[in-house]
Amino acid sequence: MSKQVSTKKRTLLFVAFGWVLLLLGDRVGDLELYQGSFVATYALAITSIILLTGYSGQLSLGQSALMAVGAYAGALTIFNAGLHPIIGLFMAALVAGVFGLILGLIAARLSGPYLAGTTLALAISLPTLANQFPILGAEEGIVFDVGLPPARFGEDFSQYKWFFWISALASLIMVWFIANLLSTKYGRTFRALRDNPIAAELSGINVGRLKVTAFAISSGVAGLSGGLLVMLISGVSPSAFPLSLSFALLGGAVVTGLYNLKGVILGGLVLVAIPEIADSLVSRIGGSEGFITTLPGFLVSALLILAVVFTPNGPGHLIKRHHKK
Amino acid sequence: MIRNKNMKRASLVSAVIATGAMVLSTLPAQAATPGVTASEIKLGISSPLTGSAGLSYGKVPGAMKAYFSYINANGGVYGRKINLISRDDKYLPTLAATQTTNLVLKDNVFALVGALGTATHSKAYKAAALAKNNVPDLFINTGFSGFTDKTKYPTTFMVLPTYAMEAKVIAKAIKDNFPGQATFLVAQDDEFGSDGVAGFKTAGHTFSAAPILYPQGSMTAARAEAALTALGATPGKPVVVLFGTTDVTATILKAAEKLALTTKFTWYAGSVGADANTLLALGVKPTTIDGVITASFMPDAKDMTDPYVQQFADINAKYNKGITFDNYVLAAMNSAMLTVQALRAAGKDLTRAGVISAIENKGANFASAGLVPLGYSPTSRIGYNGYWVAQLNAKGEAKPYGGKLVIYSTDSGAGAVSVSTFVRPTMPKNGIPTNS
Repeated sequence: MSKQVSTKKRTLLFVAFGWVLLLLGDRVGDLELYQGSFVATYALAITSIILLTGYSGQLSLGQSALMAVGAYAGALTIFNAGLHPIIGLFMAALVAGVFGLILGLIAARLSGPYLAGTTLALAISLPTLANQFPILGAEEGIVFDVGLPPARFGEDFSQYKWFFWISALASLIMVWFIANLLSTKYGRTFRALRDNPIAAELSGINVGRLKVTAFAISSGVAGLSGGLLVMLISGVSPSAFPLSLSFALLGGAVVTGLYNLKGVILGGLVLVAIPEIADSLVSRIGGSEGFITTLPGFLVSALLILAVVFTPNGPGHLIKRHHKK
Repeated sequence: MIRNKNMKRASLVSAVIATGAMVLSTLPAQAATPGVTASEIKLGISSPLTGSAGLSYGKVPGAMKAYFSYINANGGVYGRKINLISRDDKYLPTLAATQTTNLVLKDNVFALVGALGTATHSKAYKAAALAKNNVPDLFINTGFSGFTDKTKYPTTFMVLPTYAMEAKVIAKAIKDNFPGQATFLVAQDDEFGSDGVAGFKTAGHTFSAAPILYPQGSMTAARAEAALTALGATPGKPVVVLFGTTDVTATILKAAEKLALTTKFTWYAGSVGADANTLLALGVKPTTIDGVITASFMPDAKDMTDPYVQQFADINAKYNKGITFDNYVLAAMNSAMLTVQALRAAGKDLTRAGVISAIENKGANFASAGLVPLGYSPTSRIGYNGYWVAQLNAKGEAKPYGGKLVIYSTDSGAGAVSVSTFVRPTMPKNGIPTNS
């Protein structure tokens, strides 16, 4: 058994990483800050998938729908109820978590392809359903405005830096929480459930309840990342959560390594960087518009294949193995 | 303490100079306008190039580039060549926000042109901080009336009339041409449809039954047949207004073909839902299309007797090889022509504020292919502010209804719909603007 990092050591590590981000944030431009915010948000969404699929062994293709639930809950809290954005983000996680709990209870008997199918249906139908309720603002959606950065930060403190601070901090706290959770007995029982549900049940684990718990926590994490995502685009609308988002995140999780939280930033980075790399590649070699638009998809596919072939457990695992030698 | 008066004055002056110098040195030097050099003006567009929306709207950036290439080959704008940078947003708000931010922060464009879509562009506008950076947001391709709000979108200029205007014009045309007939409305259930429903209400038009509202993508053949069967029992020749996208118009017309009800109704398709080429491509019979009434503010792309259409088609053949000239290409080139005039009107010393003010003050007189007036003024950001009533024939050509071009002009608010005597400005020689 590999050595577990202690909670204290982990907390210190997260705080140190937070400081590095803070210092880094002062040294890069607005565009990099904006991209960094997306990396943090996607990393959080990938965390929710890793928790669900990698640890508790349930396959969800509907993560984008759970993100949408969180995003709408957050937007309604801020825009309609007029509450503070922090409460909005908190509500995003809470409402999505409760939604996941209910969904988990319904879907507790489903597993494997059946659960994947159910969540897939959810991802397709839920955002469209939002069109039916006038309070959700139909196709145009509703504003998700976290407001301007506090005046005491000075005039040079841009909107993008503010986004970066919020998304990085929220993601750090949430990932820290999940990492801690996974190192407790919950983490061990999750893994037992994933590797052999029957053996887990025989050793006294309530498999049904555990699955629902994992689903609810994962939904809460997805909900928060949904809230952060629409904060970055200043508003929520059904089309912000297409099915392709679910698949992109799942792809990011596979590149990260489904059984390891260590590489989530890498997963987020891949999702944000691939279109950029494709862009600069095309502008360097030149090519038609069709080439530009298909290259990102091609790169992601190639990366996925490489990841599955060479680092099936993610680069984080690879580092650990290398370290052991 | 300084006793000597001269010394006191000198020290005071030097203190002022020192303070002034300190203040000045902390202020950034007067930054050059982003995206403008002595030889180039960089513009940006975020629109769908791929995905389902890309099928019809994917032509827009290419057509604009073609017109700009034509202008560049003819001296550019005061010697500056226009470079249009196009980014694909797949019609997704998240991508529209990031791509527009990329255009502003990474590509450093001077202004945005032809942004497409309501949900996408409203997000992109805030995310890219267009208002804060005063980035001109020119001739957007959406008719959502929310974009006319100058406090929310201080740098945005619309080009399409609003959906509310269109509804008001349709109401007026029905009143003038089909008095006494029953009328029905089938509309898309989103901001597009609700803008329209509100427009009919403002115009005082009451339909014979509650509007049939359907969410985007939900109008199936079965649903269309059920709706038409119910309406088919109405006596006389009822007018059915279709306020949705062209694919839905096709679904409904095909349902009418199946039920043999095509001649039972007078079909009135809104401008968004009456692209004849698309209708024919989707399998609607030419005989069904023959007689469909619609509203338009542009000439028909098939009308080669129109000098603007002819000129744009020529440019398309030369600079946009392999792309069929249609209504989308025509509209995109027309917006590109408006853009060139806006850049010229702002003068040789090009600034963002200069372009905005130029459109506000001179935009109403810009030459364009549109057959209705342009409504730009210091208080209005609305582009075309009216429609002419058109009727499609079996070939899919749009001809003036009743053989005579009648232009209706109105606003998005409570203003009346009036018949306009507008005559559009003559096209600049060879389609190359020379305004200032």
